[in-house]
Amino acid sequence: MIVFEDVIKVYDPDVVGLQDFTCHIGKGEFVFMVGPSGSGKSTLIKLVLKELVPDSGRILVAGRNLGTLRKSRVPLLRRNIGCVFQDFKLLPNKTVHDNVAYALEVVGEPRRSIRRKVPEILSLVGLAEKTDSYPHEISGGEQQRVSVARAFVNHPPLLLADEPTGNIDPETAVGIMQLLVRINRTGTTVVVATHDRDMVNRMRRRVLQLEAGRLVRDERRGSYDQVTEEVGDAL
Amino acid sequence: MRFSFFLSEAFGSMRRNWVMAMAAVITVFISTAILGAVLVTRDNLNQGATSLKNRVMIEVFIKDAATPAQTQALERKIQGLPDVKSYKYISKEEALRRFRERFGERIVANLPINPLPASYEIQVKNADRVDAVAQQFFSDPSVDNDPGTHNGVKYAKETVRKMLGTISLIEKGMWVTTGIFAAAAVLLISTTVRLSIFARRREVEIMRLVGATNWFIRWPFVLEGFITGLVGAVLAAAFVWVGNWGIANWIQSSQIDFLSLRVFRMWWQGGTWPLGLMPTLAILGALLGAVGSLVALRRYLKT
Ligand SMILES: Nc1ncnc2c1ncn2[C@@H]1O[C@H](COP(=O)(O)OP(=O)(O)O)[C@@H](O)[C@H]1O
Ligand SMILES: [Mg+2]
Repeated sequence: MIVFEDVIKVYDPDVVGLQDFTCHIGKGEFVFMVGPSGSGKSTLIKLVLKELVPDSGRILVAGRNLGTLRKSRVPLLRRNIGCVFQDFKLLPNKTVHDNVAYALEVVGEPRRSIRRKVPEILSLVGLAEKTDSYPHEISGGEQQRVSVARAFVNHPPLLLADEPTGNIDPETAVGIMQLLVRINRTGTTVVVATHDRDMVNRMRRRVLQLEAGRLVRDERRGSYDQVTEEVGDAL
Repeated sequence: MRFSFFLSEAFGSMRRNWVMAMAAVITVFISTAILGAVLVTRDNLNQGATSLKNRVMIEVFIKDAATPAQTQALERKIQGLPDVKSYKYISKEEALRRFRERFGERIVANLPINPLPASYEIQVKNADRVDAVAQQFFSDPSVDNDPGTHNGVKYAKETVRKMLGTISLIEKGMWVTTGIFAAAAVLLISTTVRLSIFARRREVEIMRLVGATNWFIRWPFVLEGFITGLVGAVLAAAFVWVGNWGIANWIQSSQIDFLSLRVFRMWWQGGTWPLGLMPTLAILGALLGAVGSLVALRRYLKT
């Protein structure tokens, strides 16, 4: 689903975003991206969305080479990628329903199917009751559910989450993560950048660890921290 | 694309950011009102100048004692001048009738005889030739000159030419003013729109994120600018129209000295302007708003 080959991204003047980055993420996978702040997780997500362009290397998303993707096709790329962010990115002046419907309006979905799909996805994320609330009237966890609903309402083949539980208390975070797992079960590839050590350790999914823009670990059923043989034995 | 969606987005945003929308409307209002006022004034001045040019008229008064042969000779002389556009004979009776019209019956009723001379009113083709034409009658025997003068020939000399010169100077100044204010309007509107877009950069970011095309993002903003510009400009056009009408009315009804009243009446032409100035202002305002939005959006839609 996502292929990075020798990707380099350096910000002006010379801050390293990603360095010699190579990795493959298959269709239907659930992947955690971990690493300290500033290690390049958000940079990777922005590159996949073609919000940023790499200085060198090749990026393929769903088989399409982003290097040769025309500017006018970028919106089409983004319609096939759901996005969830730490700060939710909801429109404060629109209701829960309208925030989700927005993603469908943008792609020119007929009104009738909007009326069907939005309540459907809202009850999937457990917000059927809050349809007419505004973002400031609901909790952070609920806002993030709205954001997940918006990301998934088009049933995109790929969903990117950049620290989705960063602003949420741990109990609520579990619910969000379960939601992402359910979405992954429908066949959608899910990539989650996170700081949440407990979550990563509990889920035992593939882990990509970044350090100063480099991929330093790629483990199939990994934990947040690299576990050496001895430590593992000691546990 | 779905027009009703764009329209409701535009109106919704204007309702939410109504302070901003008001500021934009007022900006458009002020700049188009000034533009409109300049255009109307220029127009009135133009009409005034045209009337003045048409009014470059020479009056040649005829002695009561002149013989019919002398009068006929005078008329032939007028006919023979190439600079004369037209002329008209005003008899003593006609002169009295005009006098009565202007000053009332009471003054005329007490007159034992008609003191007013007959005259020829001569229109000249070119205002610059007034002097040359008038001079032809200075020493004509049938003209009602006092001894040693040529006060039997009356024409607006320096005053008219100075006035015409002033009008053309004012007109040039107005063109410059018009240009300055048109530029100011564009600048003010694009600044206002840029501020409004800056306030909504989060919205634009989210639109891009969910895969909106650039035109999809632009439309509500362009529509908003269009509506804002239209409202401001229509208000301005109405304001200018009412203002012009009011001033013209006031000039006509006031008891200003009749000479200047005549001049002002010509300049303001009874409060009308050539049909189309109002729609022109409205369309201009709406376009200013829409283009202002497009220009302001450019840097937010780079990638
Ligand atoms: N727009 C930018 N301009 C300059 N440097 C940036 C920019 N965005 C990120 N960086 C730098 O790139 C590096 C990687 O950042 P980022 O990808 O945001 O890391 P993470 O998401 O893992 O915290 C950091 O050193 C950060 O300071
Ligand atoms: Mg980040």
